[in-house]
Amino acid sequence: MREEDLIKKLEEISLPKIEIKSHKERLSLALIKKYPPERKRAEVFNIFKKLVPAGVIAVILFFFIFNNLNSQKYNLVKAKEIALQNNEIKDWLQQGSTIKDIKVIDGKAYILIEPPEAKKEQREPTPASLKSEGVFQENIAEEEKFGGALAEVDIKEKRVSSIEKLAPTVTNLIENKKEKALEIANKSREVEEIIPEEAEILDINVSTPKFRLSKEGDSVSVIPETETEEKASIIYQSDGNRWEGKINLNEERVEKVNFLGEIQNDATIDK
Amino acid sequence: MDLKEERDLVRKAKKDPQAFSELYEKYYSQIFGYILKRVANLEISQDVTSETFLKALKNLWQFRWQNVPFSSWLYIIANNEIVNYFRKQKGKKISLEKITEPMSADNIEMEFMEAQEKLEKHKDFLKAQEKISKLDTKYQEVIVLRFFEKKQIKEISEILGKKEGTIKSLLHRGMEKLKDYFFETL
Repeated sequence: MREEDLIKKLEEISLPKIEIKSHKERLSLALIKKYPPERKRAEVFNIFKKLVPAGVIAVILFFFIFNNLNSQKYNLVKAKEIALQNNEIKDWLQQGSTIKDIKVIDGKAYILIEPPEAKKEQREPTPASLKSEGVFQENIAEEEKFGGALAEVDIKEKRVSSIEKLAPTVTNLIENKKEKALEIANKSREVEEIIPEEAEILDINVSTPKFRLSKEGDSVSVIPETETEEKASIIYQSDGNRWEGKINLNEERVEKVNFLGEIQNDATIDK
Repeated sequence: MDLKEERDLVRKAKKDPQAFSELYEKYYSQIFGYILKRVANLEISQDVTSETFLKALKNLWQFRWQNVPFSSWLYIIANNEIVNYFRKQKGKKISLEKITEPMSADNIEMEFMEAQEKLEKHKDFLKAQEKISKLDTKYQEVIVLRFFEKKQIKEISEILGKKEGTIKSLLHRGMEKLKDYFFETL
């Protein structure tokens, strides 16, 4: 049989034209009955379809932020862990220093180590400390050893890559404050009236400056924290008597001049 | 009804069940007839037709007009449902009584028997269909659409979503295979 013959044969076949009315009617009724719920379902589906992209974006954003926060947290913990393995840092921390701030940039963490608060307080003069000046001087000497430090930690290589001591910066800032305090006291009428002209200055105490880390672009720098109330005290001595001048550095004025009393002859005091 | 009118009717059918009924009225016979020519069995034809229109209703809101008659979409669904019927749902009847109020069983049975008698009279068709049903589905589709539904190659390509060249080639290969079956029995 040739293809043409088969085509002719197929084309000549009498085809059934059958319709089952009962089926058509029943199906029609079924469709009408199903129309409202199907439409409702389609509407809900359409709303869902519109919400899905927004939901996906929200989920991606959430994961991105969550991951970012988590990795930052992880880096901070890791940096602290690495720093604690460094002997020098370990010693400082054992002596009461604290980790004040950590900033992470490009796989490197910058850790600011602050000297112990208690030692700084010891610098505030009291009549008792004045009596045992030797101990007071010793405290100052100890504090000069460590005035804080900035450690750079390479998180990838798991090592402390550098440690920069802040002592020179601290000394400079303290010296500046002392100069300023002295300048204010010298101009003060109260000091002029109460303290004899020939009185010598035994000590000038200023608070140790506090630092914080500042992140600017790809770099981190150590900057002094702005103190709300910067104060200083100057200890004067004349003829066995001592005075303390309290100075408000912010307001640039002498707040009070206190008479500290007479000094007993003590073998530990050379002056 | 031209394409533009049909597009408007489809659009309306998404909001108005009456418009969907119009589409159903227009295409029921055509789709039932096509399925019957594919399966040559009234009971299966009823089931597959029901499933085709229920699927059409379910997916009506996802339907995007592509400048081809709505019937092309119905043919696509029907083709899938025929395959599904023989693959998964063989023997599983779709009961419209579950969805609608039952009609008098006597009338339905009588009508069905009359239709069955009518079908049995088309002996040539039944013989040819028996041979066509032995072919792969892809050949069955093109041959039935071309010779029983009298569709043009372009229309078949729209319905089956294939290029006209592919349809011609499928038709040619299908006819070659069918010729062998006819030769065996003649």
